[in-house]
Amino acid sequence: MIVRMSKVEVAGPRELLEKVLSLLRDTGILEIEASSTGFINKIDGAYIDSYLPDRKSLSEKLFLEDFRQRIEELLSYLPVIAARSGYFHPQAIIDTINETLQKHLLTCRGLHLKKEALQKEMAELSRYNVFLDAVEPLLEGLKESPDIDIVGLTLKDPDAEGLLRRALSHLTGDRYELLTSTAADGTGAGLITIHKNMSGRIKQALSDKHIPELRFPSAFGGLTFTGKVSFLKKRLSEISEEIDIINMQLDSFSVKWGTIYQGVREWIDERLSLLKATASVFVTRMCFFIYGWTASEDVIKLKERLSDNFKGKVVLEELEIEEEDLDRMPVILKNPPYFKPFELFTRILPLPRYTSYDPTPFIAIFFPVFFGMILGDAGYGLFIIAVSFVIFKKFREKRNVADACRILMTASLYSIFFGILYGEFFGEFGHTLFGLEPLFIERRTAVIPMLYFSVSVGVVHILIGSFLGLIKAMQRKTKKEALLKLMHISLIIAILALVASLFGLFPALMTRPVILAILIITPVLLFTGGLLAPLEVVKSIGNIISYARIMAIGLTSVLLAYVANHLAGMTGDIIVGTVVAGLLHLLNIMIGIFSPTIHSLRLHYVEFFNKFIEAGGRKFEPFRKKEEYR
Amino acid sequence: MNLEKVLMAFAAAIAIGLPALATAWAQSKIGAAGAGTLAEKPELSATIIVLVAIPETMVILGFVVAAMILFGV
Repeated sequence: MIVRMSKVEVAGPRELLEKVLSLLRDTGILEIEASSTGFINKIDGAYIDSYLPDRKSLSEKLFLEDFRQRIEELLSYLPVIAARSGYFHPQAIIDTINETLQKHLLTCRGLHLKKEALQKEMAELSRYNVFLDAVEPLLEGLKESPDIDIVGLTLKDPDAEGLLRRALSHLTGDRYELLTSTAADGTGAGLITIHKNMSGRIKQALSDKHIPELRFPSAFGGLTFTGKVSFLKKRLSEISEEIDIINMQLDSFSVKWGTIYQGVREWIDERLSLLKATASVFVTRMCFFIYGWTASEDVIKLKERLSDNFKGKVVLEELEIEEEDLDRMPVILKNPPYFKPFELFTRILPLPRYTSYDPTPFIAIFFPVFFGMILGDAGYGLFIIAVSFVIFKKFREKRNVADACRILMTASLYSIFFGILYGEFFGEFGHTLFGLEPLFIERRTAVIPMLYFSVSVGVVHILIGSFLGLIKAMQRKTKKEALLKLMHISLIIAILALVASLFGLFPALMTRPVILAILIITPVLLFTGGLLAPLEVVKSIGNIISYARIMAIGLTSVLLAYVANHLAGMTGDIIVGTVVAGLLHLLNIMIGIFSPTIHSLRLHYVEFFNKFIEAGGRKFEPFRKKEEYR
Repeated sequence: MNLEKVLMAFAAAIAIGLPALATAWAQSKIGAAGAGTLAEKPELSATIIVLVAIPETMVILGFVVAAMILFGV
């Protein structure tokens, strides 16, 4: 349901403005309107102006915004900790905290930068790790001397080793040693041992052949190859230790100061929200005025709060709602517990206008019926209820999951009801097991009667939607629109009556009067709705036929259940048969949850709601504390 | 008599087959666009599912016509 809203004015002496805004924020039930249009008449407009903040407020705002930015920076350096309620009021110690913040920010920024530099160095050195792990066993066999040079390289192509050996043999006259190994990532690692005289030529040749030589950072200069390897390992271990120490320092800082700074940030946010709200306030020389919207049921509560807190100095007055206000009034949807879970489906729709209908009750009433009509199997219904109940128990804290389970449980009850009417319990298994007979219709064979039934449901549903549209047009006192909707409904009924009499469902005697009625209604329809009006009627007829999906989707479900039971029977083995039937029924249930849901929703969104629901509502956004601080 | 039955079955097959192809084509387009949308706005998944289901009206209408042909309504 769309909650009835009130247009209100809060007025009081200027010196109480801040306290009143603070109270309004704490109650969180008033949306402050920034525009004065429709609130201030022309005569009063000469005396009332927008509130202009004084120098003190402006400098406070700028100070707090800068303060908040610095706290944000500090908190970004710290590990995330759970917020705890503080035991202090930041306002009293704000100057002290400001000074401390400067020092803390420098310390934490320094630690953070150091940690970043270490992490970068670690990432760079780690690139050598894979290679070094591969060549480390080879180093044991090498003897280093001042005349010998060791060149490390990676061999991406496995065939490159043979070519490399031939090239080295040619360049050094067989005076070299090449040791190879395979690294963890699959690439080849090699060590070439040569005389220092030949080192330059070999390195040049490797470069010419695009064989990457392993080059260590410049800080490693002066060390032998094995020295470099052990230095690298040692440095990596040192960096890891240093990072651990910094993390511990930041953790300890966070535990000690994190909560305090979070508390200060919360207080700043509240203070800034008050200062920002003053931009929507209007003043005279002595008084302030706050205009806005609140739920009508909350008006008395708000009046009492203001009266109790300010001893009658601040008053709330309910203003008259004018027609032009209706387009900008915020919308709150509030539904009783049975309808509430179905808001899951309406949340994906745009919000209805204040003067329109909340789609939730309609979807809550018709969705389970359509679902039941399509699935229509008592066994499947019981199974889905059981599964939904288990999921609901397990995930009841997750709002969307809990809502979906509640909807499925309700819809499955209708599935059981229609299952009994259709005589279906896991297909015709109910008939075999305990002689269940259809009370209304047997869907598998009675295709055409089921088609008539589905289309009849469509007629009722579409006509309900059209009547609701007519009522709304009459409430808005738009006579031409109301007449158009009435003619639209009349023409649909006349066309359906004509079709029914032509198909022999109605007496043939009705044909002539119905044709006459159509001939009378059509010109009125063209007059009220223009040349495109008959197209709307054709669209509505199409919408009605679209309800044939209730029969079509249901038929696929019942046939799949039939196939499951017969395939199981054909196996000739009770265990194999049970498994086959179980799997196919399970598949059918999964399709049976998904398909009826999608198609029932579609019938509402596309066919039903466009007859009477007007989108374009604005969400009610009261002035209150941030979600995370409440 | 047999030819009449064959022609009716053929007509019913065309009545449901062509809309089925059209639905598949429309759903492929909507599905591809929907997948792109979901990459940027996952919260629109329910809307996309409903959008994908919209062209199914064509095949439902085809099914109704086919049933009317076969059952001689």
